[in-house]
Amino acid sequence: MSESRKNLFCYLMVSPALILVVLLGILPMLQSLVMAFQEYNLLTIRRVGTPFVGLDNFTTLFSEPLFLQTLVQTILFVVIVVGFVIILGLLASQVLNQNFLGRSAIRTLFLLPWFIPPVIAAGIWKWLLNTNLSPINAVLRDVGLIQTNIGFLTDTNTVGPFSLPMLVVSLVRTWNGLPFVTVMLLAGLQSIPSEVYEAAKIDGASAFRRFTDITLPLVRPIIIVVATLLSISGIGYFEVNYVMTGGGPRDLTNILGVYAYDQAFTFYRFDYAATASSVILILTSVIAFFYIRYMLKGD
Amino acid sequence: MMQTVTTQSIRKQQPKVTETITFTKRISQIGTIALALLLGFFVLVYVLLPIYWMVKSSFQTNYEIQSVPPLWLPTQFSLDTYRDAVTLIPIGRYMLNSLFVSSLTAVFATTIAAMAAYVLARFRFRFASLILGIILFTQLIPHITRVFPIYFFLQDLGLLNTYFGLIFAYTGFSIPYAVMMLQSYFRSSCPPELEEAGMIDGCSYFGAFWRIVLPVSLPGIVAIGTFTFLGAWNDFLWASLLLNRGELKTLQVGLREFMGEGGTIQNANVFMAACVLATIPAVILFIFLQRYMINGISAGAIKG
Repeated sequence: MSESRKNLFCYLMVSPALILVVLLGILPMLQSLVMAFQEYNLLTIRRVGTPFVGLDNFTTLFSEPLFLQTLVQTILFVVIVVGFVIILGLLASQVLNQNFLGRSAIRTLFLLPWFIPPVIAAGIWKWLLNTNLSPINAVLRDVGLIQTNIGFLTDTNTVGPFSLPMLVVSLVRTWNGLPFVTVMLLAGLQSIPSEVYEAAKIDGASAFRRFTDITLPLVRPIIIVVATLLSISGIGYFEVNYVMTGGGPRDLTNILGVYAYDQAFTFYRFDYAATASSVILILTSVIAFFYIRYMLKGD
Repeated sequence: MMQTVTTQSIRKQQPKVTETITFTKRISQIGTIALALLLGFFVLVYVLLPIYWMVKSSFQTNYEIQSVPPLWLPTQFSLDTYRDAVTLIPIGRYMLNSLFVSSLTAVFATTIAAMAAYVLARFRFRFASLILGIILFTQLIPHITRVFPIYFFLQDLGLLNTYFGLIFAYTGFSIPYAVMMLQSYFRSSCPPELEEAGMIDGCSYFGAFWRIVLPVSLPGIVAIGTFTFLGAWNDFLWASLLLNRGELKTLQVGLREFMGEGGTIQNANVFMAACVLATIPAVILFIFLQRYMINGISAGAIKG
């Protein structure tokens, strides 16, 4: 078997995938970066084309309060989602890893949100959290915790960049992403042999100690992977925010993905859209770089 | 190996305790269990309440869903909402559109990705790790960063508002993920001895891949195909831009349109019925393929 035939085979097999990835991944990404340095105004494009304007788009965006608010809210969104997903995922995987009656049924039910498209998830939650008709408000009223209904998606009170709608939107995103994380963590838990726990039990370690000293260190690689992937996807996230609130009320749930989309397809400012995308690209590339180094080192 | 080390280190760390478990310790144990159960219950409510609310609302009349305080159970079980969902929203048509686009995406993407993943997993050749790096990087970067160039690109090719344009885009987007998962699948669960034997018997490289590797790896390929399908099925961003005209609309775009912009949802019961219908295909897929998928995802996602 000649070496050159083997190489030819390899390149032929790889090329369709590589061509598509370059055509629909790398090139558009680079083009987006270039657009960020151009003026791309549909009104003037006929007359002057798309001249280079240096860093003008960046300086304009970074002096715009809404963009800065969006940037801060994006980071907040990522932090809340990643935090919730990991805490709830650890908790859920612990519970689902126990032996109890009806475990497989509960597991299947628990994984359901994974198969509910973000648009539908956003629709269901929007309905569930309707200020006047929400069962959550009804329960809270019955218990006596609240007198007036909570406007989960309309409350515009803020604490710094934090607001109730932002929390709600993050929780919906968490809801959609939780099953995936739980499955990953479950797989990790199942790779820990039960003897380890039994040994620790004999030595008198409490459930809490067993969790912090055995479980956490062993699932840490999974937590790192999950946190990285979710941070990256969170920075450019779009769906739930766009469908549930459209970024509102008063742009309190606006994040970079929604901002970029609106700039392009609502205001037709493709240069600002590309600039906002480039900010997303830069932020995610930094995280992706470290992640790829971590993954390739393992191989 | 890692596990034995941990066992030892844990044994070392733990001080020897007397065998009698003290009363306070038992109390704290019960406390821990109770707390875990309570938290577990809340997680379950958080996960299941929206699904319950969707199904429940889909059986209620428009009058019933407006009642204050909200009814936890439908009083008259109404199936009219489902009839309305099919007539008010052309959900059958949207579903067929989504099914068509997603299935073809799954077939194309999985085939192309399997070819690339196989050689990346099995052979050492120049630029192999560079190619893998490019693919991994593309997988990680959010879609929104390439929306506009791709929109213009497909517009120039005259592929906006065609099935082919969307399938083309989805195939490209699915490949990085599929390649990453499949190459780790080929590495971990497909023994190279089989193809080697086939090649000794006179199979070409491609023949060995096509006749031996693919059939043997069918479970992994089915799993990745399912994920690819779901990725396309769930997508809203691209479908809303690239395929949003009349009859061609995908399910997500059609549903979002019915939901309306901002404010409360009009005809929430009909919308919920549509959501139930729209969720059923994915759930059926999930129930059939649950095993494959969970094995596939954990094999691909966890290093080892």
